[in-house]
Amino acid sequence: MRNIWLLAKREIRDRIGSRSFLFMSIFGPIVILVLSYLLFTYGGEGKQHWNVLIADPTGIMDNKILAKEDGMLTYAFADSYVEMEEFRDAQQFKSFDAMVEINEKVLSNKTAFVFFREKPSVRMQTHLQFQIERRIEEVMIKRFTNLSVQDFRKIKQPLNVAFRNVNDPFDEVSDLRAWAGFFFGSIIFIFIFLFGMTVLRSISTEKSNRIIEVLLASVNPRQLLTGKIIGIGISAFLQFAIWAGIIGMGMYLMRIYLFPDLFNASNFELLQSVQGESGMTGYNEYLSLVFERIQFGTMIFYFLLFFVGGYLFYSALFAAIGASTGSESDGQQFIIPIILLLGSSIFAGYYTILNPESQLADWFHYLPFTSPVTVMVRLTQGYGPGEGYQIWLSLFILLASAFSTLIVAGRVYKNGILQFGHRLRLPLLFKWLKRS
Amino acid sequence: MLEVQHISKSFARKPALSDISLHVSEGEIFGLLGPNGAGKTTLIRIINKILEQDSGIVRLNGEIFTERHLALIGYLPEERGLYRSMTVEAHALLLGQLRGLSAKQAQIQLDLWLEKFQIADWKKKRIEELSKGMAQKVQFICTVLHDPKLLILDEPLSGFDPVNIELIMQELREMKQGGKTIILSTHNMKSVEEICDRAALIHQSKKILEGKVSDLQQERKKGDYAVRFRGNMIAFVNALWTGFELVDKEILGDDRFVAKLKMRGENSFEDLLRVLIGQVQIEAAWEVLPSMQDIFIEMVSEEKEVSNA
Repeated sequence: MRNIWLLAKREIRDRIGSRSFLFMSIFGPIVILVLSYLLFTYGGEGKQHWNVLIADPTGIMDNKILAKEDGMLTYAFADSYVEMEEFRDAQQFKSFDAMVEINEKVLSNKTAFVFFREKPSVRMQTHLQFQIERRIEEVMIKRFTNLSVQDFRKIKQPLNVAFRNVNDPFDEVSDLRAWAGFFFGSIIFIFIFLFGMTVLRSISTEKSNRIIEVLLASVNPRQLLTGKIIGIGISAFLQFAIWAGIIGMGMYLMRIYLFPDLFNASNFELLQSVQGESGMTGYNEYLSLVFERIQFGTMIFYFLLFFVGGYLFYSALFAAIGASTGSESDGQQFIIPIILLLGSSIFAGYYTILNPESQLADWFHYLPFTSPVTVMVRLTQGYGPGEGYQIWLSLFILLASAFSTLIVAGRVYKNGILQFGHRLRLPLLFKWLKRS
Repeated sequence: MLEVQHISKSFARKPALSDISLHVSEGEIFGLLGPNGAGKTTLIRIINKILEQDSGIVRLNGEIFTERHLALIGYLPEERGLYRSMTVEAHALLLGQLRGLSAKQAQIQLDLWLEKFQIADWKKKRIEELSKGMAQKVQFICTVLHDPKLLILDEPLSGFDPVNIELIMQELREMKQGGKTIILSTHNMKSVEEICDRAALIHQSKKILEGKVSDLQQERKKGDYAVRFRGNMIAFVNALWTGFELVDKEILGDDRFVAKLKMRGENSFEDLLRVLIGQVQIEAAWEVLPSMQDIFIEMVSEEKEVSNA
């Protein structure tokens, strides 16, 4: 055990000291933060002009809400309620992009509902919210206070504007969360690929520079392989922790400095108390997804478990190839099937988003080479009541397969590690596999 | 100290070692000789538990050799490498600790050796910054850092310049005096003659010779003598007359020669000296023993002839 830890420590130091580790630690999170920012800012970009019907039996808004001159919004008014289904289906409402419902409780619960056909952009949402809010403010100032508008705004409470899709009012069919799971799965994929390749390169370098023989005179091949996989795995964890730290900090700063109006803490609490989980849907869906709807605790917990399983499974395969190569450039053709397997996990995740109930998705959920990504997607899609065992079953299959692969890889490693100068061929691999 | 008993090993049904038995006593330097591909490295790997033998036993101090004995061995393989991005210090500490030293002990030993080889300023250098010869020295230090009882050195002198060869040879002599046992696998026959007590020759997976180096030379001597003298070569040949046969000669200078002779009839070394005194100025005269190189070539050629027949 001491030797395994010594070898693992060497791998960790080697990785952490490398330029590529530093580069990936900074570059990876920055790419994700920039992409997130672009998604938050432009992700919900849709039509540039909205024709909005304001259903306002109270008469609060009628002809008193004014569209700004930028031409993004045009208002029409109805003096009675319009049912959501009616608005969605009736011919006379087809020309409207959205309907704002101002009910009689608007002054007490400070919530107006916006029913839309297509997801509005952040700018559109902000404009609409701003204009409704200002009108409500004026009414409230008149009705409840003797204050001036300026004074009122100093003590104002935010108005909640809940945007709802008329075709999916409860946001049930949205696959956005599944895409978030896919994102987590893809991170697993990237880490397994990067660090799996690191295992392969590290082993083939040890072979080619012949340090392997010095090491094997002190430790047995299994210890050597285990130390290497553990060490590189821990450095992968460290890198993930750095990613999580930088991305978390970046998201926090983004929330504070780039989207301060959209992320007023009081909004969150109020919205949640009034509307429950979907309270944030009024903002950019990606923002609400990242900052409210993803359960990061659960996701990261399972992410780590499936990352460990996936990493052990794939790194064992990479190790076997690394140990079998006759030279550093040898064995490329044997990496391709592993990369294809890894690629299939991405396909499986994508397929599961589109066809969550299909039988093939179930297979992907349990197959060890696709389960790390698929489970992340399924987690965000949600398991039905009594289906929680499926995730543990999948994990068990993955870990059992990983350990079997490690045993097989250990055998190839042991028999192939001191063979030099050959060209790796399949019969040779099988021969080393059969040899005890 | 080390006993190798009836070790056999095949790769893909091709024998690499056939029934090899050796005995290495404590405190001796044992030369393991053989042409390329004879099986020396395979035997060394088996002793180091890097490879498993098909049959046979390795014993160390009477006990069957297991992984826990590895810490008693210092192994310098022929195909040796280092982690290029690591510093000399980090490398030595890693290998020392893998061989059972604590980090502190490894540090103390490393400082001692660096001081001894007068290379203390290399400590923080990365391996990739070192020349080949410098790296060889570091490898040697890594091998002996944990103060092993048995040293197995595969071509330890390759890559060194003559000054460093002498340094390593001197170190090996000191280690022997300190009670260490050393197995030396080498093609450098001069070093075998100089420092090995005993040697074994492996050829085509079989051991064809084993014994004390001096005994091996005595057994294979051919009655040749050599004389180094100053004087006239014609006078020298005339003095030999019919009692001795001039086999070979080497010109050292204008009037200095080394002549190689064989005795004829009942003539002895004393007879030779007697006929030469007064004819030439004798500087030295000695019985020519076959070099280990000659024995090596002779034995390998004999074996080839036998196997061809």
